[in-house]
Amino acid sequence: MSHNAAIYQAALEKLHQYLQVYAPFTKNDFRQMEPFLEIREFDKKVKVIHEGEVERYLNVVGLGLARKYLPVRNKEITIQLASEGHMIHSELSFHYRVPSRAVVETIEPTVFFSISYDSLEQLYEQIPGIERLGRLMITDLFIKSDTRYFNQLRKSTRERFLEYVRNHPDMVQRVPQKYLASFLNIKPETFSRLKHLTKGKGVNVKG
Amino acid sequence: MTMLEMLRQYISGYVALTGEDFAVLADKLIVREFERRQLLVRVGEVEQYLSFVVKGLARMYFYKGKTEMITNIAKEGELIAASASFLSGKPSYYYVETLEPCTLLSISRANLEQAYEESPRIEKLGRLVTTYFVLQKEEWELECMRLDTRERFLRFIGNNPELLTRVPQKYLASYLNMKPETFSRLKNHIKKRPFAGRP
Repeated sequence: MSHNAAIYQAALEKLHQYLQVYAPFTKNDFRQMEPFLEIREFDKKVKVIHEGEVERYLNVVGLGLARKYLPVRNKEITIQLASEGHMIHSELSFHYRVPSRAVVETIEPTVFFSISYDSLEQLYEQIPGIERLGRLMITDLFIKSDTRYFNQLRKSTRERFLEYVRNHPDMVQRVPQKYLASFLNIKPETFSRLKHLTKGKGVNVKG
Repeated sequence: MTMLEMLRQYISGYVALTGEDFAVLADKLIVREFERRQLLVRVGEVEQYLSFVVKGLARMYFYKGKTEMITNIAKEGELIAASASFLSGKPSYYYVETLEPCTLLSISRANLEQAYEESPRIEKLGRLVTTYFVLQKEEWELECMRLDTRERFLRFIGNNPELLTRVPQKYLASYLNMKPETFSRLKNHIKKRPFAGRP
């Protein structure tokens, strides 16, 4: 086995693990999926899909970190952050086959497991067992997006900040502050101030 | 059209179910009737049903301080539920309340899971409906960010002209996230120049 083939195999193993979280399926099912997948590698800060392009792929992050944002009046509003095992794509563009209004950009060097629109349709046709996986992945995406939406509307800036820091301590380390601030809909100045509060006090975020 | 025919028509927009598949689903439905102004789900309760509106009008909302924030209004031929709670089995963030007397065709979570077991096509339907939830939410958020007040008003009224007469104005204003005065002003503007809103 060549060096690249070994890396490829290791990456696929990892993907199998990620997907198992949603629905148990056998190695054999997974083998059947393999031919439909593409592995795509990107440097950091690369736009994987630009505004105005039609999204060709649904991606699962194998390694690295990416964000999705909306360019709105010279500002970038970050609406999703995705690390290993999470799905990220421009959904509306992918499903309705229309130009994307969102941009997906890598934050770190990133490896995606990607499946094209046509391959995904074929996959569902050929392996009926995949329906469940697809349904549960999309359900998870919906619940996450609903929670974020609700938090934005309902919770205070401080609550949003503390809850995120408590639940995603790793992301606070990895994601540039301005993107996190935008994602949580907090002004960058306010974000810095709140971050300061959590330092040296053993992170008082239990409330 | 009967209730089941209405539902079948709605489903055909997603997936072609055989008569047998549809029977699997139909067997698991219950009909629920409500007066106007009845709460179907309260904040903190787990949503037990996914419901199809056969007749009537319902809304989903929460309180921000003392203000009601409406996040969804559903009419005939649409689904209503505290959907994230229904799907996750966790307590709802939202209230769901009828605005008019309602007839709903509802399925419980356990029965829906059972239907998925019995028919892969119903599982596909589940995937597609959930995908639609995601897309609808994303589109709504996108519009709130991209469109100004007037554009949001015109778009909503263009898509749902009948709701202008059925839903109390303050609720529509809340749903579109604008002040009632602004809503009223935009509405009067449309009345005077009926074609102003058409693209």
